[in-house]
Amino acid sequence: MRGKVAVIGVGMIKFGELFDKSLETMVQEAYLNCLNNVDKGIDPKEIKAAWFGQWSGGFIGQGAQSGQSLASFIGNRDIPVTRLENGCPTGGDTFRHACLGVASGLYDVVLALGAEKMRDKPSAESLGGAGSGGGAETGSHPAWMMGQGGPAIQALHATRQMYELGYTMEDFARVAVKNHHNGTFCPYAHYQFEVTIERVLGSYVVCWPLHLFDCCPQTDGAAAAIVCRADLAKKYTDKPVYVLGSNVGTDHSQLWDRNSLVEQLSSVKAARGAFEMAGIKPKDVDFGELHDCFTNTELMNIEDVGFARKGEAARMLKDGEFDMHGRLPINPSGGLKSHGHPIAATGLGQIFEVVTQLREEADKRQVKLKKGIGVQHNVGGPAFGVSVFNILSRSQ
Amino acid sequence: MTQPAPASPVYWRFNPEVFRLIGIKCNDCGHISYPRTKICHECGSLNLEEYKLAKKGTVHTYCVNWAPPPNFEPPITPVIVDLESGGRYQGLMTETATPEDVKVNSKVEMVLRKLTTDRGLNVYGYKFRLVEED
Ligand SMILES: [Zn+2]
Repeated sequence: MRGKVAVIGVGMIKFGELFDKSLETMVQEAYLNCLNNVDKGIDPKEIKAAWFGQWSGGFIGQGAQSGQSLASFIGNRDIPVTRLENGCPTGGDTFRHACLGVASGLYDVVLALGAEKMRDKPSAESLGGAGSGGGAETGSHPAWMMGQGGPAIQALHATRQMYELGYTMEDFARVAVKNHHNGTFCPYAHYQFEVTIERVLGSYVVCWPLHLFDCCPQTDGAAAAIVCRADLAKKYTDKPVYVLGSNVGTDHSQLWDRNSLVEQLSSVKAARGAFEMAGIKPKDVDFGELHDCFTNTELMNIEDVGFARKGEAARMLKDGEFDMHGRLPINPSGGLKSHGHPIAATGLGQIFEVVTQLREEADKRQVKLKKGIGVQHNVGGPAFGVSVFNILSRSQ
Repeated sequence: MTQPAPASPVYWRFNPEVFRLIGIKCNDCGHISYPRTKICHECGSLNLEEYKLAKKGTVHTYCVNWAPPPNFEPPITPVIVDLESGGRYQGLMTETATPEDVKVNSKVEMVLRKLTTDRGLNVYGYKFRLVEED
């Protein structure tokens, strides 16, 4: 697939508590923004297939969605559309499947769109749905019956990071400080305010050792990308962004089957495969949008995808290496910490950011480009056993 | 008041998994998994045998959940325990004076307790309590 597929347009809406917007409204706005982002223009009928990222379906009250929902919303019912769900990586994997559609030779131009409404239910219910997924009622292990929830799963990792790696709650809080700061420069972020270490550590304990500001918010949102055959890209845009590598990594779906809780092998495998496909190394990357659903998770991700050795991410963060103007900016958009995590929209929102940065259109949050390569990463699912890693570049 | 259901499907699956703690051990890679499964989660082998888990072990990791799922009074203390038999078991602590009593490497043992309710019926299973150090 390397170099065969190009992104010609991206679009998203401001993430937040969008009580005034239905799923359909969010989808249509992200889609129209995406079409308008194709700078030389595109006839919507040129889109010959689409993938619809939609994680929660009926869990938190948006009704079961299938491919037809997207086809109907965008008024294009003459193309194949497939709904895709793959845990928290749903958005990034929806993008990957659109790329596979083009790389297969079957389609020239396709759409990837993800949308999620998380806020129509109160936080506890929404979090419960997000954390337990479909497993809560159907498992045969009592732990499933008791529910887990995203914060508990990551807190179990965080405790172990503290024990094995010597990380502290201050180390975790520094991730929130950095990402909230970056988010103040992003007009699409749900949260646009600074936090301090003291404010993070003084916020409610959601699940010790994680505080409220260690957790990303529950948020509504939608985001999209149009990808096409690389050799056709210049017809649509002067600034195509090419897909160098794309991969999904998987691991156990139960925490107790996993060996280490300071490493998520799904991320390790996703990144390793994508780097191999791209033929580049982690040191060739200019910046990354990594899945910071919780602050401790960002530190784990930085290590797992190859940007730091295990146990070194906290020190490198403290030294400013991952700041917007540091050696390797991580989450210049503000990440999930600022944007929230409308699950299927999250990965495509990150793709939006990576493409915008690579086109040097990120305004006040623009990072310095050296090789012109950025990455997008999600990790999640039960026990965080699924991860997606996409590598994008401004040159083919 | 929820009208109790005539039966709970999970009861059928819970016996013998939950009460007798029967998991599997892989004869090819040694992975111990719980509950029972037909294919080794670690290596895909079908060469498995039933394996009884120990009730004692040490805390591998824990957290203190102040925002638990519905039906639970906060705080609850989820733990993942390295069992003396090998294998890991995820569960909840019980009978702790304060959550701060639990640490990584604390010695714990399983005790039968009510876990939750399924459509009005009580569901029982094991929780962990701290074992007095000698
Ligand atoms: Zn095995």
